[in-house]
Amino acid sequence: MTSQPQIVQPPRIAVRLVNLFSSDEEAETIEGDLLEEYTHLASKRGASFARRWYWRQTAKTIAHLAGTAYRTAPWSTTAAIAGGFLLRRLAARFVEPAIFAVIDRYQIFEHHFSTYRFLASTGIDIGHILVFLFVGCIVALGVKGREMVATMTLGLIFGAMAVIAVLVMVSRTGDDAFAWRLTWYFADSFAMVIGGAIVRARRSAATTRPSIA
Amino acid sequence: MTGRDYLGEFEHIIVLALLRLEDRAYGVTVRQEIEFRTHREVSIGAVYATLNRLETKGFVKSHCGDPTPERGGRSKRFFRVTAKGVSAVNRTQRALHSMTEGLDLVRSYS
Repeated sequence: MTSQPQIVQPPRIAVRLVNLFSSDEEAETIEGDLLEEYTHLASKRGASFARRWYWRQTAKTIAHLAGTAYRTAPWSTTAAIAGGFLLRRLAARFVEPAIFAVIDRYQIFEHHFSTYRFLASTGIDIGHILVFLFVGCIVALGVKGREMVATMTLGLIFGAMAVIAVLVMVSRTGDDAFAWRLTWYFADSFAMVIGGAIVRARRSAATTRPSIA
Repeated sequence: MTGRDYLGEFEHIIVLALLRLEDRAYGVTVRQEIEFRTHREVSIGAVYATLNRLETKGFVKSHCGDPTPERGGRSKRFFRVTAKGVSAVNRTQRALHSMTEGLDLVRSYS
């Protein structure tokens, strides 16, 4: 009877990240290569050293995969990003009217003032997050294999625009409270990336792969 | 002859690693061979990004091996250099040699 090599599980989040950024064909070989070296390093140099190595490799690998994904189809990726930018601007106009239509329809202001207050403030912010999530999904659907690059780029663009806008507002008004809005704006950008990750994960799951022990 | 007939720096290193490793060349061995000989940490993503580019150019070919238990049942992707790849290495080596010939790099520029 031959002894099976002891497989130590690498950081799960790191594995998922590599999976999200690599194409279905690449994912199996890259994960296999990383696991082979990780198992070897964990037995030779210890689990914490191996974990650090795995995270370092993940960060560098993601950067390369993202760069490669963009270079393989720069025009269609750019078009999807531009389309997503315009779609978000268009869809965002309907958030407030939609929420106030619900408030009017069910006479929330008259009967449930605390609910009204929630919907008219936090509800609008949540509505914007859902718009960003939706746009992230639409953009990802248009760029097969480059879902994460496209949605992350768009998320970064909106994040940078939000930072600039908040800096301008704070410098003009001197009111630091505007800076707190950044948490919502970053949540919007993050929702967009989550939209991309959802589409990517669903596409990966749909692709049949050899079983993983 | 165009710029595409020559290899970039990392492409050159990768192809030389494949030639050294012969039929044992896959992601892990290529990465380790480069680290061992150049003393620079290389990511597996950089290795595959370059190998895929070289395959598109026709300089290398790949095939999948059998799944192995130490890789959690995942298969290896083996690479080998094509005749076109060997020509590209030779051309790049000659170009580098031609550019450095007669230069005393240690004395002039250190």
